[in-house]
Amino acid sequence: MRLRTLRSALVLTTTLLAPMLALPALAETGKTISGGFDVGPGGFPGNFNPLAATAGLTWLSVYYEPLVIYNADLTAIVGDLAQSFEISADQKTYSFKLTSETWHDGEAFTAADVKFTLEAAKNGDTGSVFAARLGAIESIATPDDRTVVLTLSAPNAGLLDTLTKIMMLPEHALGKVPPADLAKSTWWSTTPVGTGAFKFSQYVTDQYVEVVADEDYRGGRPAVDKLINRYFENSAAAVAALRAGEIQFTYVEADDVATFSGNDQFKVIEGPSFVVNYVGFNQEVPFWKDLKVRQAVMYAIDRKAIIETLYNGAATEANCGYVAAQFVPAGIEPYAYDPEKAKALLAEAGWAEINGDKPITILTYYNNPLSTNVLAAIQAMLAQVGINIVPRAVDSPTYNATVLAAEPNFADFPLIYAGLQDGPEPSNINVGLNESMIPPAGTNALRIRMPEVSAAFDAALGETDASKRDARYQTVCQTMNANLPWATMWVANRYGVASTSLEHFVWTPAPGGGPFDADPEKWDLGNAQ
Amino acid sequence: MLTFILRRLALGLLMLIALSVLVFVLLRLAPGDPIDAYIDPNVSMSRAEMAAIRARLGLDQPMPVQYFAWLGAAATGDLGYSIQRSGVRVLELVFERIGPTLLLMATGLVLSIVLGIATGIIGAVRRNSTTDVGLSVAAFVGISSPAFLTALLGLYFFSVQFRIAPSGGMLTPGAPFSVGDLLAHLILPAALLSIGQAALIMRYMRASMLEVLNQDYVRTARAKGVREFFVIVKHALRNALLPVITLIGSTIGMAIGGAIFIESVFNWPGMGLLMVNAVETRDYPVIMGATLVIGACVILVNLLTDITYAAVDPRIQVA
Amino acid sequence: MVAIALPRSNGPLARSLSRFLSNGAAVAGLMILLPVLIAVLTYDLWWPYAPNDIDLRALNKGPSATHWFGTDGVGRDVLARLLQGGRISLLVAGVSVAISLVIGFLVGALAAFGGRITDGSTMRLVDLCMTLPPVILLLVLASIAGTGIVPTIFVISLLSWPVLSRMVRARLLELRERDFVVAARGMGANLWHLLFRHGLPNCIDILVVYATLQIANAILLEAGLSFLGLGIPPPEASWGNMLNAARSTVVLEQYVWQWMFPGAALVLAVLAINFIGDGLRDAFDPRSDLN
Repeated sequence: MRLRTLRSALVLTTTLLAPMLALPALAETGKTISGGFDVGPGGFPGNFNPLAATAGLTWLSVYYEPLVIYNADLTAIVGDLAQSFEISADQKTYSFKLTSETWHDGEAFTAADVKFTLEAAKNGDTGSVFAARLGAIESIATPDDRTVVLTLSAPNAGLLDTLTKIMMLPEHALGKVPPADLAKSTWWSTTPVGTGAFKFSQYVTDQYVEVVADEDYRGGRPAVDKLINRYFENSAAAVAALRAGEIQFTYVEADDVATFSGNDQFKVIEGPSFVVNYVGFNQEVPFWKDLKVRQAVMYAIDRKAIIETLYNGAATEANCGYVAAQFVPAGIEPYAYDPEKAKALLAEAGWAEINGDKPITILTYYNNPLSTNVLAAIQAMLAQVGINIVPRAVDSPTYNATVLAAEPNFADFPLIYAGLQDGPEPSNINVGLNESMIPPAGTNALRIRMPEVSAAFDAALGETDASKRDARYQTVCQTMNANLPWATMWVANRYGVASTSLEHFVWTPAPGGGPFDADPEKWDLGNAQ
Repeated sequence: MLTFILRRLALGLLMLIALSVLVFVLLRLAPGDPIDAYIDPNVSMSRAEMAAIRARLGLDQPMPVQYFAWLGAAATGDLGYSIQRSGVRVLELVFERIGPTLLLMATGLVLSIVLGIATGIIGAVRRNSTTDVGLSVAAFVGISSPAFLTALLGLYFFSVQFRIAPSGGMLTPGAPFSVGDLLAHLILPAALLSIGQAALIMRYMRASMLEVLNQDYVRTARAKGVREFFVIVKHALRNALLPVITLIGSTIGMAIGGAIFIESVFNWPGMGLLMVNAVETRDYPVIMGATLVIGACVILVNLLTDITYAAVDPRIQVA
Repeated sequence: MVAIALPRSNGPLARSLSRFLSNGAAVAGLMILLPVLIAVLTYDLWWPYAPNDIDLRALNKGPSATHWFGTDGVGRDVLARLLQGGRISLLVAGVSVAISLVIGFLVGALAAFGGRITDGSTMRLVDLCMTLPPVILLLVLASIAGTGIVPTIFVISLLSWPVLSRMVRARLLELRERDFVVAARGMGANLWHLLFRHGLPNCIDILVVYATLQIANAILLEAGLSFLGLGIPPPEASWGNMLNAARSTVVLEQYVWQWMFPGAALVLAVLAINFIGDGLRDAFDPRSDLN
């Protein structure tokens, strides 16, 4: 009697185990591309509200669209929902001519929608993260259904860059929601309506998002029927799914790229991260005030060796905040590896007296294996010249809370290892370096007060003549190189891996998750699998 | 009996409140709040912008005010909204996650019970044979291996190398629901989950079976000439199972919390993964809500166990 | 009181010891654990590499005559890190178990001897601690305390004392009614005296067995915490954070030695300690002679 129960239980177990032996048959549901579009630093899984998007715009721009957008190389800003745009000579008037497009629910897209979206984005009550960046907009006029004119109180070099991140929203669907309730609305993750190549279909909580082809998209009906954005707990899980053939694309960590190289089933997509990594000196900690000490740190770290070995060559040495050729002047100090010079500089500065071998914490929010190795290398190199640093990796909330606290304890972060987006818009790093950006105004948490650097930034930001901007940012680079507010390390590359069965697929590791003009309507799935 | 249940229920409610206070305070002690988690350190945001968002979420209020606001809403069944996910109610989120967790844990438990009891009996009956020693060593290795390592290796071999199991998740995205699909996703994590538990059950089963086999009534049965097979199944098994059932019962309450390592390696949409994400992003309402629901389940299961014991065992006095 | 039992040659302790030594698995456990312990404690005397010395010219090299267990992603010697990691893992496990023993014993004994009200309130506290889902306790404590050796010890000890205090209380409740304790109380012995002269000697078996098995658990817990990035932070080595490297597909697949050796060391050590703990439990169980 008992044994029979036992035996039937065993039989049941075997039947349960049986499906494991066969690959789950994919149901025939038309051409579907699956990917991990929100994996990695550019992703923001679980966020459906473009007004709250600090990342993840690469995916959101599959079903929403901004007025203007970066091209796929991130070298220029081109029109998207704006057919064309013009900026007045004094940089204070922006006019946009809108293209004709309909929302996914059939309503026409008009200038009123643009006005509604920009006003919502400007209003902090909606939970918009763009409110401060749009502060310069004085008025939004809509002379006709197809025209929008923005008037600014002062020139703002970063405005177009900000506008690429603002996805247009339908006034007819959201106009009646009080601004304060907008962020809480269930509309975002259940029935959102955009203008993009794909229509939102469904979201299975924390599992995946599914969008389907928009039949009357102005760029032509998409080549595939469905896109699926799968969520993964970490990039290793996404890599497993990619290799198991379940998805066709994902972001991968630099160390995992080697798994795919030389495999003709996959194509590795490489691009600069536009994030400059640096060792930041907290200026509230006395011993970093001496330039000689900061120079010693630069000379003591063999950046070339780290890039060649740990990054497999996929990073560019940075001698100031920029690596893009147009912003780097000739003749700046290259800080080639020279431990003897570092020791001499430290001796001159009297390092043995001012700190000696007392441990100095280096705080970072980078937790991936590569950064752990990089920090171990930096620690060993600095130890050789007599600087004893101790890496401390914390999660981003802890890092932000420590560094951006109202009354920070500077002893918690005498050094930081961090990164800041330095492109494609060069003014981005101003917020971490200019004296005027010391909190609460900005995120210059290291309290960098270097008049030369601040003056160079102010001059570059105030430059209205586009042809002189590059030269202004070269000055910024030159002052950074001479004053060393940061020991700048490198700009590393980031990677995506796509199955070779994907055709016309455009992706780039854009900073902050894009968006860029990826033409998702052209993405196709070939037969090669 | 009724007064006992009522008293325990009242006590349970008090404990839930204490639990929520504890978690609330612990959360505020942890560095960083939801807004700190929200911003990417590589992309900057000014403190004024952050302060505005904090004020909108009520995070600028004094702690007791925040707590009582939460408690008041919770008393009416409103656990608030997730901060990280736009417009998702915590209650819905938690209930969505309990199902998958229970499915995974129950399957794992069933597998481990079947496996553990069967091997335990074999070990006890063939005491000190090669099979017994082999099984015992295997059980010890099972108990001694870190769950995340077996999970990683299992995932790697079964889905990346041999491609006989999906690489994670619960259902094939985009495909219509089918039981086969669910089972295909379920079996690998459940099997890996059951390893440790099966080893534990096996050792208890073996020990208690050995003890029972030495008892007088079993010897009597043997002496009467009952076949060994029936001795084991009819006489010994029933009594040997009792302590094992107690062991299993004690783990069920905890199971609702989810298997954090397996869920995180296999991307299983359960409570464990929800909690890990919520803590990483300091999603206060989700953490509070989930703890409350899990705590309530644990207290309820404990109460049910006690009532069952009281009903079954006349020696236990309740009053 | 226990002193009466000691002088006799085959008192309970001696009998336990002989039972323990006749248990093959337990002795095997000791034979595995001792060399591991010695190697971990003395490695810097005989192994030329230090755990944090990097060598950018020898990244990810497999086992060889110079690096017996190969090198890791920054060219550090895996054997040196494994041994240093063992030191850290065992230190964390040992200290956290010692702390949870003290808390668990004191709470349990207080509940048993402290009278009805103390008993009721401490036991409710224990219930509360056990109701708190371990996952959340783990995550929240780790994020408050931060990462590092001391916080990890703190988190692990805080997680493991409630079960022990229940066992201690159950044992001592039984003891409370015995003649010699009643007599001691009648003579006006204070709580301190009761705890250490009567409570401790009568719980020693529970404590020893619990400590051994809990050390095994604590090693696993440390590994799990470090795997989630909440335990011992790199560059300090621990078995858990060395295993964390296996998350990367390349390491899992191509640099097997980087996780296989620490994994094997961890399983082996935990296995040995479990064998010993099991042997101790049987040795202290008076009924085990009957089998």
